[in-house]
Amino acid sequence: MKALIDLLALFLGVFIAFVVQHALPPMDGLHGARVMLAPLVFCYGAIVLPFPAMLAAAFYMGLFSDLFYLHLAGGEVEIPLGVSIIYFVILGCLVGGFRNRPEATKIWVFSLLSGVGTSAFLLMQFLLITWHRGGWDWAEAAAWRILAPGVMVALLAPLFHLIASHIDHLIPDFSRRRVQRR
Amino acid sequence: MNRLNIALAVGLVAVGIYLSTLSAESLGAMKANFMSLLSPFLRTGTAVQQNIGSFGQRLKTLDELEVENTQLKTENRALRAENALMRETQSENQRLRLALDFRARSPHRLVAARIISRDSSTWWNTVRINRGFEDGVEADQPVVTDNGLVGKTATVSKNEAIVILVTDESCQIGAKIEGTREQGIVSGVRVQEHAQEGILQMKFLSKNAKITADMEVLTAGVAHGSFPPGIVIGKVREFQRRALDGQAVVEPAVDLSAIEDVFVLVGKK
Repeated sequence: MKALIDLLALFLGVFIAFVVQHALPPMDGLHGARVMLAPLVFCYGAIVLPFPAMLAAAFYMGLFSDLFYLHLAGGEVEIPLGVSIIYFVILGCLVGGFRNRPEATKIWVFSLLSGVGTSAFLLMQFLLITWHRGGWDWAEAAAWRILAPGVMVALLAPLFHLIASHIDHLIPDFSRRRVQRR
Repeated sequence: MNRLNIALAVGLVAVGIYLSTLSAESLGAMKANFMSLLSPFLRTGTAVQQNIGSFGQRLKTLDELEVENTQLKTENRALRAENALMRETQSENQRLRLALDFRARSPHRLVAARIISRDSSTWWNTVRINRGFEDGVEADQPVVTDNGLVGKTATVSKNEAIVILVTDESCQIGAKIEGTREQGIVSGVRVQEHAQEGILQMKFLSKNAKITADMEVLTAGVAHGSFPPGIVIGKVREFQRRALDGQAVVEPAVDLSAIEDVFVLVGKK
């Protein structure tokens, strides 16, 4: 029951994160890099939720992300639907591997992997676009746009973990209560 | 990890692979439905962002006025504020008058649209407009202002459409340089330094072409293309001679960071 409530909260959190990051403008001082909040929310879910629930979250996150960023030009799709699902399954497995570790390790790993995961996601998008369009067109701005969101997420992650874990404790854990009664 | 978990993960990856094989048409339809569902929330988010932005601007103006006019009376301040509001109305009136005039002059059938949000992705330069297939807008139709070309429509839903800006690399336009016989392909660059402004590149020009700065670049209107001939794309900023051909750097005619109202060319009059 608790996992289901957590999963629903994660779905809502990812949705809100997409709406908020859509409203935030690019940062000109960081070569047009954008704040990415959805991977942060997903990574928190991956480190908290049991494996099957994490997979459901990866599916939701990947599908949402692919549809949100789907770019159709001249009847062609640059990043096919489903690619992000596979990416978030892999990222979720990696992050979820640290689920049973002590709290301090979890915060550290969560911060690091959310940052790396965000930048790797942007790098994956850039490489798929490059592969689709052909030619290698690297610019300094591309490096900024890949790395800066990851760094921002890694810096935000401990604070997010603190807030989210406090909210998490407010959600009643029916299963735990049942075990205690027994 | 137990076998069931491994099977679930493999199953999900298989679903991902299956989804990646879907055709562009079905993906377009899915995206259009997704846009319709998400639209009210995204509009709210954008409106909140605009309100916060304008609130900040108002505070700044008030601060400046306070510094400059500490000695002025309250009445004077109220009059100044009123005057500023009237100026804003006047400039909006002038902008809309120009837009109406442009629509009357144009040989094409134009659908007026307003930009409702700017793109939130890192790699694509797009905007959303408040016109969809219910208003007669279809995919791959040119989007213009009275100053020139803005881009072309991509995904079209019931009441909204995504416009790929000319500064995006995937928006490729057959173009010519006015006053010459030179033709080439204009597109944006892969990573623009500034997401909404940006520069364009015109490729496949002849190496020995006599192209100078400030020459106007227009759509060529190639057969079966999306763009009719003669729409201003921009001005040549620089011409580079390369080993086999020439390439021009083009400055867009439209200030893409400031536009609010656009027109979609939906056919001939």
